[in-house]
Amino acid sequence: MADFFVQSFRMAMALIFARDKEVLSAVAISLNVAMWSVALGSVLGVPIGMLVALGNFPGKGAVRLVLNSLMAMPTVVIGLLVYAFISRQGPLGSLGLLFTPVAIIIGQSILATPVIGNYVLSTIQGVDELILPTAQTLGASNLRSVWQLAREVRFGLVAAIVAGFGRVISEVGVAMMVGGNIRMYTRTMTTAIALETSKGEFAFGLALGLILICVSLAVNLFLTIAQESRRV
Amino acid sequence: MSAEKYRLTSIRASYGRNLGIAVDELALTAGGLYVLIGPNGSGKSTLLSVMAFLKKPEQGTICFDGAQVNWTARECFLLRQHVTLLHQNPYLFSGSVSGNVAFGMVARGARRDTAREVIRESLAKVGLEGFESRAARKLSSGESRRVALARALACEPEVLLLDEPFAHADRASAKLLETVILALAAGGATTLVISSHDERLGSRLGATIIYLDEGKLDKIQDSRVM
Amino acid sequence: MANVVKLLSVKRRESLWIGFSACVLALVCHPLSAQTRLRMSTTTSTENSGLLDVLLPPFEKQCNCKVDVIAVGTGKALKLGEQGDVDVVLVHARALEDQFVANGFGVDRRDVMYNDFVIIGPASDPAELNHASSAVDAFQRIAGRQALFISRGDDSGTYQKEEEIWSAAKINPVGSWYRSAGQGMGEVIMMATELRGYTLADRGTYNAYRHGKTDLAIVYDDSHAFGRQGKSFSQLTVDQVTALTGANGLFNPYGVIAVNPKRFPYVHYDLAMKFIAYITGTEGQQIIANYRVQGDSVFFTYKGK
Repeated sequence: MADFFVQSFRMAMALIFARDKEVLSAVAISLNVAMWSVALGSVLGVPIGMLVALGNFPGKGAVRLVLNSLMAMPTVVIGLLVYAFISRQGPLGSLGLLFTPVAIIIGQSILATPVIGNYVLSTIQGVDELILPTAQTLGASNLRSVWQLAREVRFGLVAAIVAGFGRVISEVGVAMMVGGNIRMYTRTMTTAIALETSKGEFAFGLALGLILICVSLAVNLFLTIAQESRRV
Repeated sequence: MSAEKYRLTSIRASYGRNLGIAVDELALTAGGLYVLIGPNGSGKSTLLSVMAFLKKPEQGTICFDGAQVNWTARECFLLRQHVTLLHQNPYLFSGSVSGNVAFGMVARGARRDTAREVIRESLAKVGLEGFESRAARKLSSGESRRVALARALACEPEVLLLDEPFAHADRASAKLLETVILALAAGGATTLVISSHDERLGSRLGATIIYLDEGKLDKIQDSRVM
Repeated sequence: MANVVKLLSVKRRESLWIGFSACVLALVCHPLSAQTRLRMSTTTSTENSGLLDVLLPPFEKQCNCKVDVIAVGTGKALKLGEQGDVDVVLVHARALEDQFVANGFGVDRRDVMYNDFVIIGPASDPAELNHASSAVDAFQRIAGRQALFISRGDDSGTYQKEEEIWSAAKINPVGSWYRSAGQGMGEVIMMATELRGYTLADRGTYNAYRHGKTDLAIVYDDSHAFGRQGKSFSQLTVDQVTALTGANGLFNPYGVIAVNPKRFPYVHYDLAMKFIAYITGTEGQQIIANYRVQGDSVFFTYKGK
């Protein structure tokens, strides 16, 4: 058993130092689609989270419930839904998006949005209720006031983004379904691991897994440092 | 005779599930000094929020500077340029003290150099000279309240509403507050409404006292006449 | 964490931030290729054999294009063609391929290469398949002895073949001895290895596993049909191979089919035809014939190609 881990670790080191083309490609593709997905997920999720937190509309409770449940959607289900839409037989078929990185980005954005939205929602709900009225009474427009609110909770927002990143970098269902696991094109770290394990190459799969964990750690480290260094 | 700043008629506004206030008739003159007296839960904060155009009443009309308020978002935004409310437990934004104090000016599109001078003056008025670059959220409770006051003063509003400013003030802060209030009142350009549950405050300041009890107006007394 | 950051001077922090943003930008601008991409669906066993990694690059260079290989089960590979989601299909399920063309989804089916299936099992061979005269006979011995058998149980060409043989043997495999795994070839081989059972595997995948991953041996194959026990049976004719396909034998012919442009006008038909010409032409066929995995041939080319 220990043998197996040592072998995997050695393999991981060898792959990194040899700068194996396929491994580097998988890492780059994983990070690329993850970042785009988190960006899109934030563009959608942050306003949704804020609206639900601050708004007063009928059915608000229902929306919160739905947003919460979407966080736990199985990735294969999202993969299937996106597949149905972008396959040639589907309504968006003419765009030819299936089996491209863009398809993965679409699917992963759908995964990231509820996660980010929920974190933003919780953050704003837990915040001092005087922030908005204070900004308003000092003469700021509603838009400016909401922007100030966002600035006040920016650490919560970064946490939301980190959570969104975690959700997408580790998933395999969407990437496999709509990406097709095409070598050097849509093969992410996770789909590569799935492939290697299906070939019985457990040590190689684990080596890739170790690399994925390190990459993930590195990104989170950078985000944390960036957040801390801007704190005043 | 001074112009009328506010005229509230048949105002009904709630706070949460409670019927906060039910004010049938209230008129405030421009440049006047008013103290709003009432026990806790009498609706003082709610009334001040309404007057700050932060909270729309469920019923009733308000005339501000003789014009009726229609409570559209745009109108409220414009009116709030003239009225500033200092909350009982004010929230300071993250960032520096000068960032906070300048907030109102920046919101009104002021320029950096003019702002700097006003910031310095406002901080001097509250006895916090040199505090510009301090981190706002790291101040003591007393200092925070003074910064909030400086921030409100920097807006140079026509109407300044203070929600229980003496509630947590120590003797030095109370003295400072009184000085600031009296200076503004003497100037005549600012309408001041201060809420408190201390009855003697009104007479000390020589203000018109408005009594509020369970949301309803009890009586109005001019303390200088008393 | 905050303390670590405080140790870094403001300048260092700024440069860290800039460095990070630069990395982000570099990654975000990762080239999403603008080349023409030919989409091909094929089976997982074909991709796992590694043949495509050697076969495709010369073609990609010649045509200045990229071939996207989507490796899934045989059934799904053909389904992708039926939906027009790919431009060309490379599979090994003759009956389904013929149907595919007959239904108008594909055109121009060509023979590319062949390999065979083998029945593997524990070296002790409890069901005595070593003496079997045909695949059907072998299966009958397994069922008769109720020897443990692991089945792919999915939509693969291997499972297709398995079904054809059971059918010809007039056996409906049911019982605790027959385990339907619903997984890929590799997983099924590992399962049979663990449980000491028999299974039907394509020779290519078996060869990839026999050096270290499994200790199962080939207990029956059809190489004896040409008097060339176990070794090379390349350069057979199409007819010879066809004679030993389906229920008659364990041979496994591969076909490549272009997706019908009349049905799906947007498919890269010309490029697909170029690809088909390449893999059935001299250069492609040589690469296929010369491809070895750990010294063993994986695929065989037809005579006269």
